[in-house]
Order: sequence, then C-alpha cells, then structure tokens
Amino acid sequence: MPGYQGKILRINLTAGSSVVEKLNPKWAGLFLGGKGLGIKYLYEELAPGIDALAPDNKLILITGPFTGTVVPCSGKLSIVTKSPGTGTILDCSIGGTAAVELKRAGYDAVIIEGKAAEPVYLWIEDNRVEIKNAGECRGLGCHATENKLKEAHGEDSSVLSIGPAGENMVSFACISSELYRQAGRGGVGAVMGSKNLKAVAVRGTGGVLAADAAKLMDVAYNAFKNDLLTDTNLWAYTDGTPMLVELSQTTGILPTNNFQQGTFDAFNQIKSESVAAVRTAKKGCTSCGLGCGNFVRAGRSAVEGPEYETLSIAGSNCGIGSLEAIVEFNRLCDDLGLDTISAGGVTAFAMELTEKGIHDFGIRFGDVEKYLQVPGLIAAGDGLGKELARGVRALAQIYGGQDYAMQVKGLEFPGYDPRGSWGMGLAFATAPRGACHMSAWPAADEAYGELDPFTIEGKAGLVKDLQHYNAAKFSLILCDFWALSFDVMAEMLAALLGREITAGDLELAGERIFNLARLFNIREGFSSQDDVLPQRIYSQPLPSGATAGKTLPEADFKNMLAQYYSLRGWDESGQPGQDKLNLLGLR
Amino acid sequence: MKFNYQPEKCIGCHLCELACSGHKEGQFNPGLARLQVISCYRSDTLVNEARLCDLCLNCVEVCPTGAILSGEQGLTLDRDQCTSCGTCVEACPTGVLRADKEGFPLLCDGCQGNPRCVNWCPHGALTAREVN
Repeated sequence: MPGYQGKILRINLTAGSSVVEKLNPKWAGLFLGGKGLGIKYLYEELAPGIDALAPDNKLILITGPFTGTVVPCSGKLSIVTKSPGTGTILDCSIGGTAAVELKRAGYDAVIIEGKAAEPVYLWIEDNRVEIKNAGECRGLGCHATENKLKEAHGEDSSVLSIGPAGENMVSFACISSELYRQAGRGGVGAVMGSKNLKAVAVRGTGGVLAADAAKLMDVAYNAFKNDLLTDTNLWAYTDGTPMLVELSQTTGILPTNNFQQGTFDAFNQIKSESVAAVRTAKKGCTSCGLGCGNFVRAGRSAVEGPEYETLSIAGSNCGIGSLEAIVEFNRLCDDLGLDTISAGGVTAFAMELTEKGIHDFGIRFGDVEKYLQVPGLIAAGDGLGKELARGVRALAQIYGGQDYAMQVKGLEFPGYDPRGSWGMGLAFATAPRGACHMSAWPAADEAYGELDPFTIEGKAGLVKDLQHYNAAKFSLILCDFWALSFDVMAEMLAALLGREITAGDLELAGERIFNLARLFNIREGFSSQDDVLPQRIYSQPLPSGATAGKTLPEADFKNMLAQYYSLRGWDESGQPGQDKLNLLGLR
Repeated sequence: MKFNYQPEKCIGCHLCELACSGHKEGQFNPGLARLQVISCYRSDTLVNEARLCDLCLNCVEVCPTGAILSGEQGLTLDRDQCTSCGTCVEACPTGVLRADKEGFPLLCDGCQGNPRCVNWCPHGALTAREVN
C-alpha cells in the first residue's frame, strides 16, 4: 500500500495490551491521513458525550501519506482527541521527528485507549511495543523527561511527553517533542495525563514505499526547487513567524493588554529584528526545507522560539515588552507542558480583571516578575495558578468579565484581532476546535494582504475555501508554512500512490473532513449558538493605529455567518444539509 | 566526488538522507542512506554533525575479495565478488559505511556526478566537488 504502512497500533492502557490492526483503506482514500483520518477514526469510535478526561476518551497519534517520504515539509504528526478544554473535536499537529519515526516503525497511527493504573510510557521500536513504568519521570518537565528517555532508548529515538501541567490535567496542557516543538492547543496534554501516560518514545528502522519512487522524486524535486524554495515561503527561514509582529502592529491587529488595543508601544523590542539579534541557530523538522525554528539565547534563557503567537498573546497582550521575559515564559511553558497561547490569554484576562477591580489576582499588565511566576503556578495548580488553570471561559463564569473573555467555545484567542481582519472573526467563530488560526488564516489575504479587512464582502467564501485547503493539507500531512497549490499536492500524491488524483479530489476531501469535524461537534451538542465572538469584538472600538475606531459589528458578523452557512449548504442552525452530506459521502 | 558539510547551515531536515535512500534503494529510509546527519539539542546547544564518505579508500584496501571498486565519481560494489564479510564497514574511519539487510555495504558513488543529497540540501550545508 504505497504511502501507507497499512497498520494501526492500538494500545489499551487499562488492560496493558497492544494489538496491530489493518488500516481501513477506504477511509484512508476518503480522509487521506493525519487530521482527516484521525477525525474519522475518533468519530466512529467515540461515544457522544463522554468526559474528555475519562478513560473512554481516545488519543490518536497519526501520520499522513507523505510522512517519511522525500516530499518536503511532511514531517508533522497529527494528534486527535476530544478536547477537555472545549468539549469539541481537537486535532493538533506537532513537528520534530516523531511522525517519521512512528511511520518508520511500521505504523500509520497509534490509537491509545483506557487509563494506566500507574504512570507509564510507551516504547515502540518496530514490532516491539512495551508499556513501561514511568515512575522515575513523574513530575519531571518535558525537557528532563525527554532527555531521560533518550538516554534509555538512544539519541535517535523520538519522544513525545507531557510535563507537570499535563499530569495535573490543566485544560490547556500541551504535548512536547524535540524539546521545543508542541502540539499546543485544546489540552491534548491533559488527555495524555488523564491516561497516566507520561510519554511515548519511538524509533523505527523501516522505510516508506512509493508506487514509483523515481517519479515521486522528480515531481517532489520540481516542487521543492521551484515552489517551496521561493520568496513566497522563505520568510519562514529568514525570519520565521516573528515577522508577523511588525505586520500586525502596522495593520493594528497586534493583541495588546487583553485585546484592549491593536498596537503595542514596545513592539520594536519583540519584532523579528529583535528576535534575529539573539538567534544562534535555525532548525527544521524532518523533511522540512524551510527551517522556521529560531533557536535564541536571551539573558540566561534559551529556547527554540518564541513564535509570533507567543510574542503577541504572551507578550504584547500581557503588556510585556521584554523579549528576555517572553523567551523565559516560553521556555517555562515548553518545559512545564503548557500551551503558550492559552497560558498568555488567561494571564492577560486575569490582568484586566485585576486592573478593572473585578477581582484582584495580584497581577497587572507589564508586571514581569509576576508574569514569570504564572506558568509554574498553573502547572502545579497552586494559588493564583489554580484559578488560571481553569482557562478564560471558566474564569469569566466565576468572576465576570464575560464581554472581554477572549475565547470561542472555550479556546483562547490566538494573535489576531478580528476587528482589523473581519474574516479572522468568522474563522475563529467557525473553527471546529474554537478560536483557532489553523483552520483558516484569512489575515494573510486581508489584514496583511490586498483585501479590505473591514468588509464582509467575499469573506464567507474565502474562509470556507481556506478551511478546505488546510483540512486537506494537514491530512496529507504538509506544513502550514508551505503555501503550495492543490495542483502541486495532487501531483505529488498521485506519484506517491500511483493513481490519478486531481486538485478537485483534494478540495473535496478537505470539505469532507471539515464537515465531519462539524458533525462531531453537533453530536456533542454544539450549534450556531456557539459560533459567536466575545462582545468586545462587536462593540468596543480599537483605540489606535490602522484600526482606530474599528469594531466588527455584530450585525455584520451575523450576516457573514449566514452567508457562510448558506455557501456551505448548512441550515440556519449550522447543521450540514442532507444534500451536502450526500455529496461528501458522509451519510 | 568529495563532499563538504557546513554544520552552521544545516537545519537538520534529513532531506539528504531521504533523497539518497529514495534514489539508491527505491524506498525512503534514512537507515539505507550513504550519509548520516545528526541534528539535536544537547545541553541547550544545537549540535549538527554529518558522516560522509571522504573517499579515504580504506574500504577498497581492506576488502579481501576486491569487490569494492574506486571510480571517477566514487565507490561501486561488485556484488558477485562481495561476501558480505563486513570488513569494510569495520574499517571505515568515519563510521558512515553501513551494510544493508543482506550485508552488502552501502557505498556512495556520488550518484555518478549528480549527488541527490547535495541537490536536496535546502540551504547549502552540503556541497560537492569533483576530484581526480
């Protein structure tokens, strides 16, 4: 089965058992791999309404058809589960080496079920699968855990681990790998913690077959030279995501002080040039041709990062203009196993509640000393940390400030203010996992591009198309940072699998995958009532810069949402219609 | 063909190994590549290292059956003469030389002047020059 190993490894931690099953080839054809195929397996296997932190939930680690081949930027692993933070479907991706090692070990995916009685880790080496005692790693950070397991199993093994935050089931705990790569959002690390699974270590010695390796190499090389290594994508190498700081500042969408402003006075200190000034190396994932990772050393702290989302949400949005402080916050979150976006978002929210006198959390915008204590407190569940570990939505339910609780469906906002990028508002409201920039990123076309950011015209179609594009791309799996066309994807996939595949096939697969994620959420009780934005976005004008005086008025948002449902063939409650489901083969 | 590796330009993508194995073995498996790159963090420092055939010809000299031939571009194996004894692998000073599952050494022939590892190196860490 070219492009696939044809095998799924199923682990039951309650029983302490593992079994190898055949990959469902029909599903692989329809849902490709990665994100799409993971969602399909979860949709079929998970009973509705289960507690995401109960043993009934499943954690799926899944590769794509391109994983392990020479196709560039294909080294990411999808992790699919039900989110403890939102109750929605959750898929994250993580770079590094884990995806390729898993596929080389002979598996397309690992499905992890149940709960171990004691902390354990998985050791997978080709046919050898062991559930091992992780007592010695208990309470350790991700860095120490990874180093310890690599000592035991070799430097060339790959480790996915959780830190204390995951062990304590913080709702926005992440999974970490290669020290500085994360599956960040929605609490995948908490699900792992709920299963008493501290880590997965994997090494493979096998290879991946193509229908015609020489042809795939020719097609992929052409794409590598003439598409990937061009100005469209090389920003990832020269700058990486910090380049967005200045773009966001200029366009007035840089979240500042919990989205009270769209510009930050100290942006110069956290922009790309400032990050580049302390950069000591560049790093990419396996098969990446770009190398977006900036390894930096600032003060006493070193980290691969910080990415734009961290610089904005955990930087300007917390009123923090010290790059050194952000780097340290980033390092702490990575090691403790926390998503920097949600950690930054909840910190900023607590800062605003304190400054407004709603509740005194003892932390204010720009207070570096307190800010640097936050990750440790959240991970340990101590004092202030116990409160912040709840996340923005729960904090607002307890203390108030709902109008400026910057979250959708319980997931905290990433670093783009929808008041200056109206399509982003629609993207946040309709992304299956909540306020998320990975489902669609229309900011590139409107705030940062040529389209008018302050209109709803054309945005419903734009967001819909981008959602299909990303759903297909993240299922193959290709990295977000390669802006390749459906045609190039299809040409490479056809060479890999040895059968005809068109751009239209992939676009349809993307739509199928996006709709299946929607069906999962509907089954969990979500509807149009949940496709909303915080009141601040609708009614509080931004005060400065290119977005001064701007909101995304609720009436405009609702019009845009209605257009979007209509274009999608969904009814007014956001439910896909029968015709659409028939067309997509989801009946 | 002699290779040169500049670790500061390497991003650790392993495309060189993937391309090498794809071209030479018809499958994508870094374990069958004619070169090896190690890229990892050790004690807060990124370490990039590569093992490459530097054409020292030790393997040619120690081969008891004369199965390893040195040509203009690199090394080739006469599989009829090779007994899979492993002497060449043991004698390789860089450790780059490995054997496949049947015990045949995975020799680098520089892709006959068109080295795929160099072609696929995205940021110029790996370069090659002709040698006589």
